[in-house]
Amino acid sequence: MRIRLFLICIYLLILVTNCYAKLFFVGANESLHSIQEAINLAQNGDTVIIRNGIYKEHDLFLSKSIHLIGEKNALIDGEKFSGILVSETSNFSISGLSFTNIGVSYTSDLAAIKVSKSTDFIIEDCRLENVFFGILIEKSKRGSIRNNHVSSVRINEASSGNGIHIWSGDDMEVHDNELFGLRDGIYFEFVKNSRVYSNFSHDNLRYGLHFMFSNSNLYHHNTFNNNGSGVAVMFSKFITMHDNTFQFNWGSASYGLLLKEIYDAEIYSNTFEQNTIGINAEGSTRINYRNNRFIRNGWAVKIAGACYANNFSKNDFMSNSFDVAYNSKENDNSFDKNYWTDYSGYDLDKNGIGDIPYRPVKLFSFIVNNSPEALVLLRSLFVELVNFSEKVTPVFTPSHLMDTNPLMRKIND
Amino acid sequence: MKKTIRLIGVLLIALILISCTSEPEPIEFGKDYCHYCKMNIVDKTHAAQYVTSKGKQFKFDSIECLVNELKSKDKQELAHILVANYSNPGELIPAANASFLISSAIKSPMGMNLSAFKEEKMALEMSQKHDGVVYSWQTLTQFISEK
Repeated sequence: MRIRLFLICIYLLILVTNCYAKLFFVGANESLHSIQEAINLAQNGDTVIIRNGIYKEHDLFLSKSIHLIGEKNALIDGEKFSGILVSETSNFSISGLSFTNIGVSYTSDLAAIKVSKSTDFIIEDCRLENVFFGILIEKSKRGSIRNNHVSSVRINEASSGNGIHIWSGDDMEVHDNELFGLRDGIYFEFVKNSRVYSNFSHDNLRYGLHFMFSNSNLYHHNTFNNNGSGVAVMFSKFITMHDNTFQFNWGSASYGLLLKEIYDAEIYSNTFEQNTIGINAEGSTRINYRNNRFIRNGWAVKIAGACYANNFSKNDFMSNSFDVAYNSKENDNSFDKNYWTDYSGYDLDKNGIGDIPYRPVKLFSFIVNNSPEALVLLRSLFVELVNFSEKVTPVFTPSHLMDTNPLMRKIND
Repeated sequence: MKKTIRLIGVLLIALILISCTSEPEPIEFGKDYCHYCKMNIVDKTHAAQYVTSKGKQFKFDSIECLVNELKSKDKQELAHILVANYSNPGELIPAANASFLISSAIKSPMGMNLSAFKEEKMALEMSQKHDGVVYSWQTLTQFISEK
């Protein structure tokens, strides 16, 4: 009985694929030589397979629910004329194709793949090289962009575009992509309820990842290396960031993570290593920082004006030149149970918590904030003396900004 | 010996004089940071800057950042206020003589969709082509401060 049912299923499946979904092949040895021709012939639900080879085509237009599949080494060369593929439909997929040489323009956003007003689509396993914009998505929903490789050569900064740029989107998923040599690796503008994970965004001009006016998003397990700055989250609410790595963002004012006008965010289990500034927060309120590791940064955390009700707990601050910088005397943020390598107190009752509180803001960091040139005095005897005297009697630094329960051992691996 | 000392003296004075000018420094795209929003400046079509009469340089990634910053500044102390010319990327022009366009067809870095043109004709042309409103520097600052 079971076997019979199985056979019927198979039969139905063959019937369905035979009757409804047609296959079109494009290639030098096939009847169809151009991709646009195949797209024009295909109906909803059909599949177009693009054979190995180089196709010099641009401004392809996709308005039907079809699947474009590239064989290995199927490459579309836009010859720098303009964008390559524009799609305005739903239920389609693009996979395994390579794109190269996108035109550059100051006034229009030319992209290798542009998706507009579409729903339910997949873009996967594509290789986009020498792009202006890589994948540009606007006013779309329920898209998945995965396993792609997007890169460009950043000769002229201003003429660079973004790798994956989503403008006005909902329920999008961006994962396992590699992005480099672009302006922003991934840029979300007016995007909500979306997820960004396991991406590797490196050597980009501006940011590895950039959120602007985008609420209720989640990003995790991404790595951001060597970008102009790591990640910028601006004017957004309810963003969760966890298990990301922010590394090697060096520059006069570079940072691993910029928070500007952010409310109600959760930041946990991230690693900030060797950045000029680990986290630069401005106008950020109700943010919980926990179990993060700050390793060998210039400043681990720099807090500028109007940051309220932020909570730092169980973070490891290891070998940073400055742990926390603060530019005002007011403090509404709490530090509790963190580990600080600079802590020199003792633990007589052996409960793992230091017996005297730790003050993460040094007077010298306060001075440097006001006049950055003073930085040349770092590590001098004079500065040590100044810091010591402030530690004993705080005058300039917020007196109640301290960790009353500093841990004796680091807690996160 | 005396000559060398004199020469060094003259050079030093020259150096001091040079470093006192309030001429605008060129923006290093990709390296400089916006004074207002802390973003890297990369967009040659929307950058802006001002220089105080004492020669202090302030650079911005977008015109809306410049305008927002200037709200709290004394206009008397400013030597230059410059904005990027959209029709010639990389060129900075005096804000007072520029024409401004807010149009959803041209996106600017901070979301106000604001760009500047050297010629009013170009701004009007673009506004007709893409829908948008043209402002002068004065009406623009007024519009933003009322917002």
